[in-house]
Amino acid sequence: MSIADLPKEQDLVEYKVDRILEEANTDTRIVVLARQDSALDTFPIWVGAAEGNAIKLALDTMITPRPMSHDLVKSFAEHLNITIQRVVIADVKSSTYYAMVHVSNKGLERTIDARPSDAISLALRAPCPIYITQDVLKRRSTTNLDAWLAKLDSKNIGTPEVQET
Amino acid sequence: MITQMHVKGLMFDPYNNAYIVVLRDEEHADMLPIWVGKSEAGAISMSLENVTPPRPMTHDFMKSFLDAYNAKVISVVITDLSEHTFFAKVHLMYEDSEYTVDARPSDAIALALRSNAPVFANNSVLTKQSSEELEQWLENLKPEDFGKLDS
Repeated sequence: MSIADLPKEQDLVEYKVDRILEEANTDTRIVVLARQDSALDTFPIWVGAAEGNAIKLALDTMITPRPMSHDLVKSFAEHLNITIQRVVIADVKSSTYYAMVHVSNKGLERTIDARPSDAISLALRAPCPIYITQDVLKRRSTTNLDAWLAKLDSKNIGTPEVQET
Repeated sequence: MITQMHVKGLMFDPYNNAYIVVLRDEEHADMLPIWVGKSEAGAISMSLENVTPPRPMTHDFMKSFLDAYNAKVISVVITDLSEHTFFAKVHLMYEDSEYTVDARPSDAIALALRSNAPVFANNSVLTKQSSEELEQWLENLKPEDFGKLDS
């Protein structure tokens, strides 16, 4: 059943959503994932404000009066008897993380390409476990640093603090 | 009774800091303005303008989710208007059975546009809307907004 290039089970490390941070003066949020086995390791992912809010609603188990977008996906799954098995952060390219949502229906397994924010938002609602592959964990440290530096570059270094008249 | 509606466009409503999705029927006899949030408006506008984002946005993912098992969106219907909140239903076809799923109009419309599915409104909503919402809507309109309605 398993496809050759899908990550194998022993290559997956389970994480949980620890908290959502607001980045000052930007329209982004940082989703902080923490290792489920309580090893001291956190894994930050930058997402948009709307995506961050969608995750926060689920994390705080807020019941909204109307179904939000990811509630609707969950509702589709329930109506069609699709089981949301797990989500996996499976790749990173140019500081962008790629996630896969693993679903099954009557023994038929499928993986769906997603942004980590959508995958995590859905995982919290399903609920289902969130994994990061060993490969992504190995390659992330420099990626994070790059992302930080890129942000510093555009916000702090690039703009002159004092303008002479 | 239901009437097929077309998504005519989006307008910014500065008074409520929200966006308005403008639906119109074929004869242009009825107009249905629906207030949606910024990110929801973004999801609809990307479809209207045929923008393909580098990564799947939430409603692209939603469609992939349904595509994975060949479930088809056959239509969406704006079913009710109650205390300034619109209600919608997404009609799905999956393995020869039809399913009806409760949704916000913004999600339903964003998904319909990506699935080439028709959007309908219950006639009761069109009647209700004209009394309940139109007044508020007209109050908020500025003269320069009118030009944007007909594309």
